[in-house]
Amino acid sequence: MNYNLNTGNEDKKKKRLGFQSVKSLVGHMVEEKKTLLIAFVAMVITAVLNLVGPIIIGNTVDNYIQTSWFHGVLINGAILLGAYVIALFAGYLQTRLMGSVGQRMLFTLRNSVFQKLQELPYDFFNQNKTGDLISRINNDTEKINQFFAQSLMQFLRIILIMIGSAIFLVSIQWELGVAALLPALLIWIFTKITSPWVKRKNAESLKTVGSLSSEVQESLNNFKVVVAFNRRDYFRKRFGQVNQENYKAAIKAGIANHMFLPVYSLFSNLGLLIVLTLGIYFISIGQFTVGLLISFIAYVNSFYNPLRQMASLWSTYQVALAAWERIRRIIELENNMPQTDSQGVDDSATLLSFRDVSFAYPNGNNVLHQITFNLQKGKTYAFVGPTGGGKTTTASLIARLYDPTKGSVLLDARDIRSFSSEERVKRIGFILQDPFLFSGTIRENILYGNYELKEISNERLMQIFKDTGLESLLQRFENGLDTKVDVSGDGISLGQKQLIAFMRAVLRKPDLLILDEATANIDTVTEQLLDEILQKLPETTTKVIIAHRLNTIANADVIYFVNTGKVTRAGSLKEAVDMLMKGKMAS
Amino acid sequence: MGMIKLLKPYRKMILLLIGFTLIGNAANLVIPKIISYGIDAYSAGNYVLNTILIQFLIVVAVIFLFSVLQTVVQTYASEKVGFDLRKQLSDKISKQSYAFVLKANPSKLLTNLTSDMDAVKMFVSNGVSSIVSSLFMIVGTSVFLLVINWKLGLLVLLLIPSVGFSFYFILKKLRVQFVRSREVVDWLNKVINESILGAAIIRVINSQQTEYQKFLKASAEARDVGISIVTLFATLIPLITFFANLATLTILVLGGHLVISGNLSLGDFAAFNSYVTLLVFPIIVIGFISNMMAQASASYERIESVLLAEETADTGTIEKVLDGDIELKDVSVFYDDKPALKEVSFRVKAGSRTAVIGPTAAGKTQLLFLLTGLIKPNDGEILFDGTDVNEYNKETFHNQIGFVFQDSVMFNMTLRENIAFSETVTDESLSKAIETAELKDFIDTLPARLDTMVSERGTSLSGGQKQRIMLARALALNPKILLLDDFTARVDSQTEQRILNNVQQNYPELTLISVTQKISPVRDFDQIILLMEGEVVASGRHETLRATSPEYVQIYESQKSTSHYEVSHDVEAG
Repeated sequence: MNYNLNTGNEDKKKKRLGFQSVKSLVGHMVEEKKTLLIAFVAMVITAVLNLVGPIIIGNTVDNYIQTSWFHGVLINGAILLGAYVIALFAGYLQTRLMGSVGQRMLFTLRNSVFQKLQELPYDFFNQNKTGDLISRINNDTEKINQFFAQSLMQFLRIILIMIGSAIFLVSIQWELGVAALLPALLIWIFTKITSPWVKRKNAESLKTVGSLSSEVQESLNNFKVVVAFNRRDYFRKRFGQVNQENYKAAIKAGIANHMFLPVYSLFSNLGLLIVLTLGIYFISIGQFTVGLLISFIAYVNSFYNPLRQMASLWSTYQVALAAWERIRRIIELENNMPQTDSQGVDDSATLLSFRDVSFAYPNGNNVLHQITFNLQKGKTYAFVGPTGGGKTTTASLIARLYDPTKGSVLLDARDIRSFSSEERVKRIGFILQDPFLFSGTIRENILYGNYELKEISNERLMQIFKDTGLESLLQRFENGLDTKVDVSGDGISLGQKQLIAFMRAVLRKPDLLILDEATANIDTVTEQLLDEILQKLPETTTKVIIAHRLNTIANADVIYFVNTGKVTRAGSLKEAVDMLMKGKMAS
Repeated sequence: MGMIKLLKPYRKMILLLIGFTLIGNAANLVIPKIISYGIDAYSAGNYVLNTILIQFLIVVAVIFLFSVLQTVVQTYASEKVGFDLRKQLSDKISKQSYAFVLKANPSKLLTNLTSDMDAVKMFVSNGVSSIVSSLFMIVGTSVFLLVINWKLGLLVLLLIPSVGFSFYFILKKLRVQFVRSREVVDWLNKVINESILGAAIIRVINSQQTEYQKFLKASAEARDVGISIVTLFATLIPLITFFANLATLTILVLGGHLVISGNLSLGDFAAFNSYVTLLVFPIIVIGFISNMMAQASASYERIESVLLAEETADTGTIEKVLDGDIELKDVSVFYDDKPALKEVSFRVKAGSRTAVIGPTAAGKTQLLFLLTGLIKPNDGEILFDGTDVNEYNKETFHNQIGFVFQDSVMFNMTLRENIAFSETVTDESLSKAIETAELKDFIDTLPARLDTMVSERGTSLSGGQKQRIMLARALALNPKILLLDDFTARVDSQTEQRILNNVQQNYPELTLISVTQKISPVRDFDQIILLMEGEVVASGRHETLRATSPEYVQIYESQKSTSHYEVSHDVEAG
């Protein structure tokens, strides 16, 4: 399956942009119906009270100031003050409620993206760049956040005011009202036509941000190579290029985003012009009065001024839409490794078997061809062979990081695909070639994902360490369980990382333990210790060891020779060595 | 202030922007005038449709033209500032030492180059023109108010300080939340980052739920911070509106009083009302821009701190071809006061082969990092051909040292670019390196051969292939000195032996220092250094060490069980 977010199926989906996106975004909003309703009521109250102000003022001028009755002025002043105080609280309530709805929606959105990320198979991460993924999840949700936090409320308020003003305009004099609103129709058409283009420009700009971030990520994380090979210019050059691309795309997007305001202003001024000339014409034929014209112009202003604000809101909306598209591409991906129905269980001595398994990577690279073998309970297997022969791929299929292209992998004579993830990982432990540590303490790393031991006290954990023989390994860390480690692994050697990964896997007590060159960077003396620890595992534990060092595999019961996508059983260590030699010579 | 300094080189563009903004704003003020003139003219009976029409259209055209110009200039200026600043920052980073980048933390630098940059850009693009037009409006309307009636005017202008104070108090609280929100973003980034980099182990252990719980905690915090920010805004905006409304109320009651007592005309009373509405919006804008400015200058400070960081000066001037004599004199390295290497001293003769062995975390990798200048010793001297390493010109020095790192580092480029990573590499040295690293057969199986793209984490290559590519990358430099860090780990003994033989054959004058776990391939080396807990425990040839060093014997014994096989390969392979 194609998991690359930057290629493929772009054309097919073009039609569904825009409205569909909004709909799915708003889909998240349904749970908040009640809060939204209260917020809406508060919004209407605020709007009405703010519109009432001018009416009261007009009334005061006509009835009290012109008649010099100051007491009346004070009464109306008090009424106005009351209205303003209510508006103050209603306004607070409206902003507060709408804002928290936005934040909660964003919370849901962020979580669903992350959850999807967890659901997706390993392959997804191989097909996408870390920097690009981070940019999508952080930068793009932030753009949506900006829309929700700042623009959404204004958006609704403005629409409300505009509708109110439009109603006033049409009810005062409908012909003039319609004429005054005509430019708004043009604005609507203009917006409708240009929006896809604006969104595309924004999408392109966001994409360049993604590549910028991948570039920085790659170069800075590999900085030691850049320094040691004296290729500082390389970083400058590569960064310069993506920076240039981003610059160009951002200018286009910026102009597209800012273009709304001048255009909106132009049309709203035309609206004023229409009212002025047409209004004077109507007055001249006796259908209108100067007083009405003045208040009419005021309402035209209160219709078009918010529309101008709408121009800048519209661009944040377009940016948010483009960002949402990028995020949606992740959310819409499906895991292609579902759990299938289970079959009968077999109690034979065979723990795991490969039946005619073939495997090709998504890039078309054929790695395994029709492999069949069985792993018995309690035995130790060694997989040897030249690099690139398919050893790690075989191990990855056992741990179901990938599914075979053809054939099947059986655990307890049941298709491995029919096991739930919990069941599967309980049975199969896999120490990867490249150990990964999460930032935290060694204790956290060793017990990572281990639900049984999670809450155990340090004393009891130490007892387990003694029983399993892991204690001697832990002593190699300055502060024992509380030693701090970091993702970048600064100050901790690769060999030490491998020790931690080893402890992590052994404590889980799997039925089948795969060590994929898991001790490659550990010295041979320590390696003997590891071997003793492995011997102490329950007798039924099956071990699969992938290694280059012959002493690592000397104790194996069975040796499999893996080369050019074939797995052949070797009778003895001697035979395996001969095969290695011949395999080498032949290739 | 830093931000102003930042804008200095763009003076012309900014002045242009300010000019366009002012013209656009002034033209905007003319429109009501034309309307009132039109109405007055009609009332007076000398109304000419064409004059009004032409005047109006000219003004509208001017507004449109200048606001478009403003748009273009502000976009161009902000992107240009961002582009230049980013370039400056990346140039700076590229000149820094490895230690600096590690300490500054790559993900923080990423934030500097993206989010912080956005804040600065946002300020240039929206801040400058908004401040100019808002100040213009505030000053203009204030003058009108004071001219009409200075007493009432002053009272109404009290609006400005009261709005200012509410902004001041709420923004003070907001800033605390903004700091918190930055921390939460960093936290979220970390969880996301680790969940991506650790994708394999998470799937092997099925700990997706654990990761989700971690994320949920950070995400909930982000939501809470977001809600606190919204709540503060929810206080701010209605409060400002309230103050503006109070001003209107003041005009109504006091102005009404003045009108009744005959001290204010009804027309002026109406003018007061309309000017107040004009006044409110720019005040709000200034408040928000001041916040935007605060965020932008905080971001700029972070960027500046990287820009101002001291550069590791390249003081070395010697540009000579190395012979390959290496000497370490009492070299010590500390990590947070913990010694990684303790008074290490040894010599390596030009053209000789040296192996460094020792248990995990003995300081072997640090030793190699020292020799390439990736880290500096806290104490002691490192001499190449009798001259301190710091006196060599870095460029020529690095070009003579090939380093094969322990972990494989692949770049998302073609195989050719990955191997010929330096510009000095010729086609000839490239193919020699490929042959030596035994990569030729593998490359021949690839359809695009050397032009095959390598993915970011090199996921389409096996561990051994990556390691051999790293070796070829180092050899392609035609180095005088080759440093191998646990090169043997991912390559089988046969290949390894052949590669070592190839190296000796194709690069006969090379000085080799190899960190390794396996003794058998290095048994015939000129020198074996045994490193334990940062100290040199023993050194000498294999036979000498076997006779004198119990630690060495222990390591040797641990590998002995299979050594008779390895002997037989040597014979067959050789």
